[in-house]
Amino acid sequence: MKRLMKTALLATTIAAGAAFAGAAYAQDSVLLPNLSYRTGPFAATGTPLMNGQRDYMTMLNERDGGANGVILNYQECETGYNTEKGVECYEKTKAEGAIVTQPWSTGITLQVLPKSNVDSMPILAPGYGFSAMQDGKVFKWAFNPPASYWDGASMILQNISDGNLDNLKGKKIALLHLDHPFGKEPIPLLETLAKKHGFTLLPIPVGLKEMQNQSAQWLQIRRERPDFVVMWGWGAMNAGAITEAVKTKYPMNQFVGIWWSGLDADLKLVGDAGKGYRTLSWSYPNNESKVMKDIKQLVVDAGKSMLNTSTGEFDWVFYQRGVLISAMLAEGVKEAQKHFNTKVVDREQLRWGLENLDFSEAKIKELGLDGMIPPFKTTCGNHTGHSGAWMLEWDGTKFVKASDVLQADRAEIDALVAEKAKEYADANQPWPMNDECKL
Amino acid sequence: MLYRTASQFKTSYHADHALFPVRQDAWLLGIILIFAYAIIPMTASEFTFNALLIPVLIYALAALGLNILTGYAGQLSLGTGAFMGVGAYACFKIITAFPDLNIVVAIALSGFFSAAVGVAFGLPSLRIKGFYLAITTLAAQFFLVWLFEKWGWLYNYSSSGAIQVPNIEMFGIIVAGPNASSVTQYYFVLAVVTAVTWLAINITRGRIGRIWKSVRDMDIAAELVGINLMKAKLSAFAISSYIVGVAGALFVFLWRGAAEPNLFDIPLSFRVLFIAIIGGLGSILGNYLGAILIVALPVVLGTLPGMLGIPIQSATVEHLNVMIVGATIILFLIVEPHGLARFWQIIREKLIMWPFPH
Repeated sequence: MKRLMKTALLATTIAAGAAFAGAAYAQDSVLLPNLSYRTGPFAATGTPLMNGQRDYMTMLNERDGGANGVILNYQECETGYNTEKGVECYEKTKAEGAIVTQPWSTGITLQVLPKSNVDSMPILAPGYGFSAMQDGKVFKWAFNPPASYWDGASMILQNISDGNLDNLKGKKIALLHLDHPFGKEPIPLLETLAKKHGFTLLPIPVGLKEMQNQSAQWLQIRRERPDFVVMWGWGAMNAGAITEAVKTKYPMNQFVGIWWSGLDADLKLVGDAGKGYRTLSWSYPNNESKVMKDIKQLVVDAGKSMLNTSTGEFDWVFYQRGVLISAMLAEGVKEAQKHFNTKVVDREQLRWGLENLDFSEAKIKELGLDGMIPPFKTTCGNHTGHSGAWMLEWDGTKFVKASDVLQADRAEIDALVAEKAKEYADANQPWPMNDECKL
Repeated sequence: MLYRTASQFKTSYHADHALFPVRQDAWLLGIILIFAYAIIPMTASEFTFNALLIPVLIYALAALGLNILTGYAGQLSLGTGAFMGVGAYACFKIITAFPDLNIVVAIALSGFFSAAVGVAFGLPSLRIKGFYLAITTLAAQFFLVWLFEKWGWLYNYSSSGAIQVPNIEMFGIIVAGPNASSVTQYYFVLAVVTAVTWLAINITRGRIGRIWKSVRDMDIAAELVGINLMKAKLSAFAISSYIVGVAGALFVFLWRGAAEPNLFDIPLSFRVLFIAIIGGLGSILGNYLGAILIVALPVVLGTLPGMLGIPIQSATVEHLNVMIVGATIILFLIVEPHGLARFWQIIREKLIMWPFPH
């Protein structure tokens, strides 16, 4: 017992010493935490994304020594998609000096969103969160580049109607969605569009407990015979829906998912039977791009990645989307460094950086992300940027591009954004507006 | 020595039945209260408030509510999470309908809604008990969470289906909502928890508490000596659900700031039940000890590697955490099946006799 105590004491001393030494020699760095979930019911979809985010930051640190000599300290705080852990992680990373929060769950975003004003903490929620966060004048601290869920809903409808929504007149569209804030997000826009263009919207919720067994929902789909099934799924729900669609022989070319419903592993489960399934995506994997080659060489081959190489995760849409998410954040840091002429940026400066992201064609090329993301640009009034997205189609072994870059119907969406943003601000008085923004 | 009861003479029945027959107990409680009210708030960081202190207090309050029903009156319930939800949604509706209402009043009122729902689902307890009763409370759990999801009126038809806490002022200070400071919220929760605990201690020591205990230990015998079982069981359901409802309102309004229906699903019920069982059924103190073990320990364990500078992946920490906490629970239950409160009781008895045990 005595010896055990001594060993424990020794270990603690060494560990503490190491920590101290580490701090003493530390370079300039910025803390960019990620509220990750590699555990829990959504781990399967989360892990490739987190791996991508982590590997891009590691690559930048290895190749360029971070951003202009400042180490990008990417750290994960595990939430398991649990909102309670989310609060804990948010507070913990804030206390450690984080300059951004990436909540990774609509539930956690909901909790963090009102606090971001008080704590001056930028929220980066690429491709998720509230669609109304687009309105930068109301949501001063929240960012959801490069496309919002309402953009996604609009683009999906355009694609399935061959470019003219009036073609959908008299048709029936089922929205198979997770019964959760995330899944309900597109409903307001879809309802408006259904009324305007004369199609029937049939929301079919999937409870969190029914994700793996959707026989009731698919029975309803067989009975109602919708012309299209649009899916807003996440985690285990996607695999459940796709296998159920194959089992009930629902025509795959009438089945379309949002960008979070396009995990390669889910489609690999059904292989050829999933041919024709489409998913909207604002990212596309390109192994030949400079960034992916650098990641392969400096991170994956060097053994610094947590990637699962046996499943071919490197080629997945989700892994490379994770890379793009970190690229946006890193660019935000660099923009802020340039504008404020400083090395270590703070929260307020990063907020400016994220507000002035400019992923133009030239910039995308310069960064080495050719063909991976359509161009977009954020401003103080527009925190989304609206990159547009491609429709990807499963060819039996992988996703391939099945359309040019689609663009959302701005007029419809912007009106709804203004309405919902105002509603949110009114419900949360006193809510500070960004009055400096004149755009 | 520390706990010597020599020279503490009781000269009347009244003194013998006092809340603290041993003077040191009162001192100990006094020290804890001084810590809770004065020393901790001066030293704690925002992380400590939001991740440790406030959740421990709220969970302990919820467990206290459950303990009254399960530990004192012997009626097993698996619907605590849903009853917390009733309190939270009721408070949300009251606050949004009457924005000028004092939040203390709103929280106190919301308890009545969950008490009413609790009594309704407690009615079957008059005919069934044990596992069978657990099933009916489980039904409450499923039904209520379904209701929170489907009844748009409850969340004011917001498109996300979640409820959000607005900024709420009380006497010029913001106590709830995003602009409230953690210290204020801590004091608010602490005050409510102290008041409810004081009430609960006195209810459970008094006439009603004894009626509950007699029903728990043998309901037929209790009925034979003239106890009205219906009144006893339903009052236990009402008071327990009231406290649970208040805890639910605090849970959302003073801590989380936002809630979606599945938050109140069965894992929450189990968590509260764990706290009550590990803390010790039929005790008040146990709820706090249980909450510290179940709620605070994982948070503390999660921050340890970072503090010691051990490079370890956050996901791995989480896996280890689950294992350690699980093992601790089993260990405690093997060492002392009656919970942590009983553990403390044994320590206390030993201390009283120390240094001269028989």
